[in-house]
Amino acid sequence: MRGLLLFLLLLAGNARAEGVLHIYNWNNYISEETVTRFEAQCACRVMQDYYSDNEEMLAKLAAGASGYDIIVPTGNAMESLIRQKALRPLDKSKLPNLRNINPAYLNTAFDPDNKYSVPYAYTITLIGYNVEKMRELGLPTDTWAVIFEPEYLKKVKGRITVLDSQRELMAAALKYLGYSANDTIEAHWKQARDLIIRAKPYWAAFNASSYIKELTIGDVWLVHGYSNDIFQANLDAQKAGRKFSIASSIPTQGAVLALDSMVLHKTGPRPDLAHRFINFMLDGKNSAELTNLIGSGNPNLDAMRYIKPEIAQNPAIFPDSQHQAKLEMLHDLDRNQRRILSRMWTEIKLR
Amino acid sequence: MSENHTRLTPTARLNRWLKNVACAAKARRQAAKKRSLHGVNEHSEPVANAGLASTAVFRLPVKWLVSGPPFIFLLLFFAAPGIIMVLASFRYPGEFGGLAPVIATDPNTLHGFTLETYRFFFSDLIYTEIFAKSFLVALATTLICLVMAYPLALLIARSPKKSRNLMVLLVILPFASNFLIRIYAWMILLGPQAVLSHLVNGLLGAFGMAPVHLLFSSFAVLVAMVYVHLPFMVLPLYTNLEKHDPALLDAARDLGANAWQRFWCVTFPLSLPGIFSGSTLVFIPVLGMFAIPDILGGTGDMLIGNLIKEQFLGTRDWPFGSTLSIMLTIAVLACVWLAARLGGRRKRHA
Amino acid sequence: MRRGDGHRGMGLWAVALAVYAFLYLPLLIVVIYSFNDSRLNAEWVGFTWHWYNVLLHDEDILAAAGNSLFIASVSSLTATLLGTMAGIAMHRYPLKALAFMVMTPVAMPEILLGVSLLLFFIQVLNLTLGMLSIILAHITFSIGFVAIVVRTSLAGLDESLFEAARDCGASPWETFRHITFPLILPSVIAGGLMAFTLSIDDFVITFFTAGVGVSTLPLRIYSMIKIAVTPEVNAVSTLLMLLTLALIVLVSRIAPNVLRWKT
Repeated sequence: MRGLLLFLLLLAGNARAEGVLHIYNWNNYISEETVTRFEAQCACRVMQDYYSDNEEMLAKLAAGASGYDIIVPTGNAMESLIRQKALRPLDKSKLPNLRNINPAYLNTAFDPDNKYSVPYAYTITLIGYNVEKMRELGLPTDTWAVIFEPEYLKKVKGRITVLDSQRELMAAALKYLGYSANDTIEAHWKQARDLIIRAKPYWAAFNASSYIKELTIGDVWLVHGYSNDIFQANLDAQKAGRKFSIASSIPTQGAVLALDSMVLHKTGPRPDLAHRFINFMLDGKNSAELTNLIGSGNPNLDAMRYIKPEIAQNPAIFPDSQHQAKLEMLHDLDRNQRRILSRMWTEIKLR
Repeated sequence: MSENHTRLTPTARLNRWLKNVACAAKARRQAAKKRSLHGVNEHSEPVANAGLASTAVFRLPVKWLVSGPPFIFLLLFFAAPGIIMVLASFRYPGEFGGLAPVIATDPNTLHGFTLETYRFFFSDLIYTEIFAKSFLVALATTLICLVMAYPLALLIARSPKKSRNLMVLLVILPFASNFLIRIYAWMILLGPQAVLSHLVNGLLGAFGMAPVHLLFSSFAVLVAMVYVHLPFMVLPLYTNLEKHDPALLDAARDLGANAWQRFWCVTFPLSLPGIFSGSTLVFIPVLGMFAIPDILGGTGDMLIGNLIKEQFLGTRDWPFGSTLSIMLTIAVLACVWLAARLGGRRKRHA
Repeated sequence: MRRGDGHRGMGLWAVALAVYAFLYLPLLIVVIYSFNDSRLNAEWVGFTWHWYNVLLHDEDILAAAGNSLFIASVSSLTATLLGTMAGIAMHRYPLKALAFMVMTPVAMPEILLGVSLLLFFIQVLNLTLGMLSIILAHITFSIGFVAIVVRTSLAGLDESLFEAARDCGASPWETFRHITFPLILPSVIAGGLMAFTLSIDDFVITFFTAGVGVSTLPLRIYSMIKIAVTPEVNAVSTLLMLLTLALIVLVSRIAPNVLRWKT
């Protein structure tokens, strides 16, 4: 019996040993090769845990998750972490590659002077669609109206999914109504809620991640989703030999831009390795690998020359200045706003 | 003693064997005592009393030795968390999640205890509504389970003794696979590319109706709820039906009752305790379920379990999550009480 | 045999067969699709062992399986010990409070135990969620099941055995050691295996007490279902089904009575 237990202990032995870098990252947000290369360079191991939503990550941290050297939160979640004093300031002398970052993505309102964070990649929440189907049905793809207006929706009833995220869906509705994605005026929220409730009967589901597969198979033709997921869906569809392609576009009303940054968590045991990793990821080639793999936006200027031209020229991943100006980053809500939004969400789901 | 031996023939041999063992053991014990090992014996003796009636002297310490460890463990990891949850429901949420402090260093921040979450709960009908909806889903699941389980349980109970165990095992087996897998199975079965969808939509199309989506709908949620909980209904029903005396049915027939009357007037009333215990076993878990609406639900499928989960793992509003949990606990207790009352009264009548 | 029973018997059989089909068809589909040669797994493409191979090289899954086994071993051993004690105590003494605390976690919706333990671990113990919190949670819900099995078996014992033992002068400890314990041993083992199965299988309570970093097999399956559904999920499901099947057979061999539902 003791032998068995010992064996099991060994099996389960993922104790936090030396020479291990712990990263808490988004799902599918780093290339396998990049990790292997870093491991070889630093003679250490990279252990990753994943989340699929900022709220989930914050909730898990609030519930005591610890021991992470690096986390890759989106701006508003990062702001919350900074205000909680949960992060360790960066030592910029160890990050010479920081100069590669496009200044447009530095010094954001979330972290003035980048005391704590280094931009990693960005995604845009936009409209993804089955190109052939949209053309066939004659639907526009450059406006949120196609997600919210019954006159369009009736043509794609049951073939459309929206994100299962309170903030993202509200932001899209607010944008369509002409408000800021960060508007917190309750009357405006109510308007957005009513807009969502009116459109809801036409939607197939609230979906956080499996819409990639639905798009690929061809069950769903239109989604409110993340740019990199839609990129992934198109890759998968081509690989599976489907006879259609999937594209994405930024609505003219504007959209949400999520800039994900690498930060050091206070509980991380290896800030030295963490700095090396950040500097490594700031290298143009390594950074480009991520974009080439998952189609994420890249704030790294040096990376541009390594990025595949079809991605670099995709306006939904690297938008022109006109669309760029319409993109907004979400800010964190306070506890009362969170509670009210949660109630509205319950209403949306129930009505 | 000898009377015992003759009366209990199946155990007689074992009995005699035990007698020998016990007597031999006694001899060993005496010897051991002589070798002044009674410290050990005195220590172990109280434990033994657990197994059988014993001398009053050792009764108290034994009781504590045996019941103490599980009692303390459950006090710590079941009762205490419950109390903490009640307390948490009277506090403010922390700015970044968790709970606001009870005693604040900065008097301007929210702290201490409050009825806020309860006020919030009752400020809007939406929360009552979501409870009502969860109850409806649980009720529907229970009824469908009952309708499906009753014939099966009846058939098993009336099958030859030999095949009964196998038939029961066949009900339990799928229930042993992980429930996520069972939910996932329906994801495949109800998918738009699956045979079932083509069949249903072909049929609807023939009648000129618009095609429907089976996956991501309330229908999918209900099917999976029934699927996951069906064995909970079959088993208690079967145990009840198995005990029925066939002579009652014969008597009813002799009095001229037809098959339907025999069922309604004899079998059904007698099986009510089984129905109640099965219903409780289905109803209560369904009330708290969040995974099924999460995976298979459409745009409107949010149940109380999902709301509680969201408060803890999404909105970071622990006090409100605790309040919802307490409301759910009260609802569950009310159901158990009701079932016990109904079941109890029926028993007395029957 | 009985007049007029033929029709009704046929009807019953038809319904019963339909219910059995309802119970088994979905699982059959899961197993069949684990051999599907298509990443999307939407329609049948062709036969392959590929996904089992993928599974055997998936470090995350293997680590999760290791965690599950470890957690189940430790929690079921502890729960068997505590549960047996609780079962004996409940059989011998009228301990209302103990009986309440043993039975309630069994009957309550799991989510309630999950969130209350989450609160307790963070707020009171200030414990980082992980292996330890999962094990403690699993012991909590397993004790009840073991206790019920043990108590049921004690209630079925023949008191005359103990009288016989006492009559010939066996001490209470000897009686327990040589009579009670061997007689309830099958139930204790069955209860332990039950606790093991419950622990391997648990999703809801683990979901709330796991934190991040430590994953179990059901948690992995959940995120696979939610994020990327490939036939690998089917493969892992199939293997897990085989394991639980083996455990069930084992339980039914050791203690046939445990599987006969007692209400």
